[in-house]
Amino acid sequence: MTRIERINFLLDKYWNCETSVPEERELQTLLSSKDVPEELRHLSALFSYVKDEQSVSPSGDFDRGLKKKLEQGQDDGKQNAYVTIRIFRPLLRVAVSALLVLGVGISLYFIAKQDNRPRFVETYRDPNVAMQQATLALEKLSHALQQTETASVQTIYLIDELDIDWSAIDSLSNPVLPETDSLTQRKEGGV
Amino acid sequence: MRMITMVLFLMLLSLPAAADNFVSLFMEQCAEVERPLNNVNIGRTMLEKMASNTDDEELKNTFKQLNSIRIVSSDSEEDSRYYYKKANELMKNSFADYEEAVSMTDMGSKITIWIKQLGDGKQDLILISLESDGKLFIINVNGKIDFDTISKLSGSIREGARLQ
Repeated sequence: MTRIERINFLLDKYWNCETSVPEERELQTLLSSKDVPEELRHLSALFSYVKDEQSVSPSGDFDRGLKKKLEQGQDDGKQNAYVTIRIFRPLLRVAVSALLVLGVGISLYFIAKQDNRPRFVETYRDPNVAMQQATLALEKLSHALQQTETASVQTIYLIDELDIDWSAIDSLSNPVLPETDSLTQRKEGGV
Repeated sequence: MRMITMVLFLMLLSLPAAADNFVSLFMEQCAEVERPLNNVNIGRTMLEKMASNTDDEELKNTFKQLNSIRIVSSDSEEDSRYYYKKANELMKNSFADYEEAVSMTDMGSKITIWIKQLGDGKQDLILISLESDGKLFIINVNGKIDFDTISKLSGSIREGARLQ
């Protein structure tokens, strides 16, 4: 098998994704040589790129650098969050206070507005009709006052006519004294 | 602090909803659709008009000094008894600061008058009356109430209430 035949054979396998790792390395080597036929030269650039990229490996301090970058990113995030809160916290307080004051103000306005309204709806617009109801109410009240006054006077008269012995009633309300007196009399009598 | 502010705010909001007089509260809490009631409210504006329209000087002065008259009545005997009980319950539960001025049961009628002193000579008077014919009257009078004049008004009041 000639060199060109070998390259073509490996390329067929490569495009069919059937090449092994050593075969791919061989293909890279064959295509990177100077005596590559003109019709296959465009492939040498591709395989040299793949070869170059495969040879790239992270440096020794890559992991450390990555970790450092991540930590720095986290710190930056924290710092930013802190700054955001520091800036917005007083503003939030002001906004909440303003909202509360506004809310109380609006509610007070509506309360004041409601207080300005009549406490109740007038039932009548015509004074003549209202007069009838008002006089009826006052008459009822007057009648009730007179009735109770009369009843009170009658009760007093009734009690007065009963001819009650008030001194006897008074003595009933203080029953201890006579007993004390009798005890004193007994002592004086030498019992 | 915020909670207290919110509670105060809610309390302020709830203030206008509360009725401030017996008749309004009675109508709000006790009135039932199946048991109709008559409700008449006469405010200061109307009382002033009435005072300027009447010839009777005593009635004129009485009206001038009052702030409002509210009346609730029921013609049905059964409903009147029901509402009489309700009115007394409401009185005990929500108007405990009122003093019972007069209470009388006579010939099947029951009358109770409750009074609260409001200051500046003003009073709030509530009369709950269940009459012998089964009619209920709840009368709420607010303002400077001259009891001597009002008690003299009976009998002559209808004649005196002539309008110009």
